[in-house]
Amino acid sequence: MSSSSVFVVRRILYNSWCFALVLCVASCQPSPPVTQLIPEPEKFAKIIYPPDNPTTREGLALGKRLFYDPILSADSTISCSTCHLPELAFTDGRKVSKGIGGRTGKRNSPGLVNIGYLHKTLFWDGRADDLESQALHPVADPNEMGGDWPLLISKLRRHPDYMPAFRRAFGLSDDRELSPDHVGKALAQFQRSLISSDSKYDKVERGEAVYTETERLGHAIFFDLADEPDPEFHGLPTGECAHCHIPPHFTNQKFFNNGLDEADSLEDFKDIGRALVTGSVYDNGTFRTPGLRNVALTAPYMHDGRFENLYDVVAHYNSGGHYAENRNANIFELGLSNDQAEALVAFLHTLTDSSFVNNPDYRQ
Amino acid sequence: MKYLSLIALFALLFFAACQDDDDPVQTGDIATTIQFRAEYDDTDLAIQSATYAYPTGAELKATLFQYYVSDLTLIAADSSEVELSEIELIRYDDATADNIEERTYDVPAGDYIGLRFGLGVKPELNALDPNNFAADDPLNENEFWNSTARYVFAKIEANADLENDGTFDTGLSYHMGSDALYSIVTFTGSFTLDGDNDPQLIVTSDVLKALSDGMDTFDIADPEKQRVHGGNQAVATEIWERLAGQFELLIQ
Repeated sequence: MSSSSVFVVRRILYNSWCFALVLCVASCQPSPPVTQLIPEPEKFAKIIYPPDNPTTREGLALGKRLFYDPILSADSTISCSTCHLPELAFTDGRKVSKGIGGRTGKRNSPGLVNIGYLHKTLFWDGRADDLESQALHPVADPNEMGGDWPLLISKLRRHPDYMPAFRRAFGLSDDRELSPDHVGKALAQFQRSLISSDSKYDKVERGEAVYTETERLGHAIFFDLADEPDPEFHGLPTGECAHCHIPPHFTNQKFFNNGLDEADSLEDFKDIGRALVTGSVYDNGTFRTPGLRNVALTAPYMHDGRFENLYDVVAHYNSGGHYAENRNANIFELGLSNDQAEALVAFLHTLTDSSFVNNPDYRQ
Repeated sequence: MKYLSLIALFALLFFAACQDDDDPVQTGDIATTIQFRAEYDDTDLAIQSATYAYPTGAELKATLFQYYVSDLTLIAADSSEVELSEIELIRYDDATADNIEERTYDVPAGDYIGLRFGLGVKPELNALDPNNFAADDPLNENEFWNSTARYVFAKIEANADLENDGTFDTGLSYHMGSDALYSIVTFTGSFTLDGDNDPQLIVTSDVLKALSDGMDTFDIADPEKQRVHGGNQAVATEIWERLAGQFELLIQ
């Protein structure tokens, strides 16, 4: 064989070896997760996705599995879904939540309907800036899941299904890369998929349904239509609800004292709420405005679950609430009759979206 | 080696000269900050923490003051205009924050003779659904009544002690806005932006001056005048007119 032929053969062998090496490396790398588009209603401003946590098919599936798995709690008895049941619009029906060992939590379980649209702070006191960080709180809370993050991460790393799922969802090449952030991100992806937009309210807005007379009256009270130039509702009391419970998600994501407790001094509040985060006495007794979608399913109400039903809630606002110098200026005696209070409750029921609570994609 | 030393010396002198006060003025865009300052009776507005005297003898604790600004524009000496922003929401609602909201814009260097903005949401934007805008846009900040009443242009909220008994138990809530109320606010005043000792531009607004001009005072003891929401804007017309008329521009 001539020297040039030897060179060509060597060259071919060398190139083949390089090609095989590239193939091997490529096959060893986890394939990137597949972006999952979550359909959103046209009437809603789009969800603001964090750049470092787009929803992917793998992340969404992992987040859903984690949401329903008690593995996240110290004794494997409590999952996210223990306090966020889909049939109750992701609340739990209790005044305050129960954690591991029957421990009593501090606050009423907030619903998760359209939670991905709430781009400001989360929790009743706003202690989490986003869904990713929110998801980390309950795991280590002694009154909720009572866990320990290093132990949990260790458990997930050894798990035969979860570790491969984390690798696929976040492109992890080394198990030691797994951190609480990945758990938070996966749970956030699932929660961002929980979208409700097919209540009777939505259908009426789209022209696909009409309110009953009672619901229509309640709608007029909720949105203060007595103030409108159209004389139809002149003389009707205004409910003042939509200052804070603004559509489409029926919350302005802000913090208010809504007159729940008498406080001669701002120091008098049993639960200081938002002030736990800000440290400002002027935030004592203020709590985040909850969204009202599916509100008829989320009893009991308020941060401490003090009101058993929507009639009690309406009665509270109708009374003007209790004095505190930081009580919101829009809380005052409304003058609703019993029929008008009933109508307001009827309107609140139109925010129920049964297709949301029965959506199999949201269930275990 | 001698030449190298000389080059180094020249370079040093050159760079030192670049930091001199006699630096040539900048000709590109200048990062210019406009301060929006809120006051009550010519003192810094303090949300919740201060007790304010009202001309009728009542006392107030302010809980919220906010307003929209449309088409914030600088007027150049040659009468051309530089739009800084189409829409801003200026809000004071935090007891832990000060009374200054700042916005910074890149502005062409040059001579200017005034500043102008629309108080409220200009009609073209006021006709739109907030959900047309991103969830974190100023126009999607939940300051919207409904498709007929549309945006709330300005809010003043306070709790009042009408009886001087130490309890601030009367809520005052003035939510104003409609195309008819939209008002243009124009200031004149000369200043130069050249990147060298640029002036501080301060837009001040005074909550008390919106409620009382010394001659006429809004009667907060009248239950019919303790709330203006949605469609009953006629009650608030005098507040709105005073609000629109009391802004000042300080060039410091």
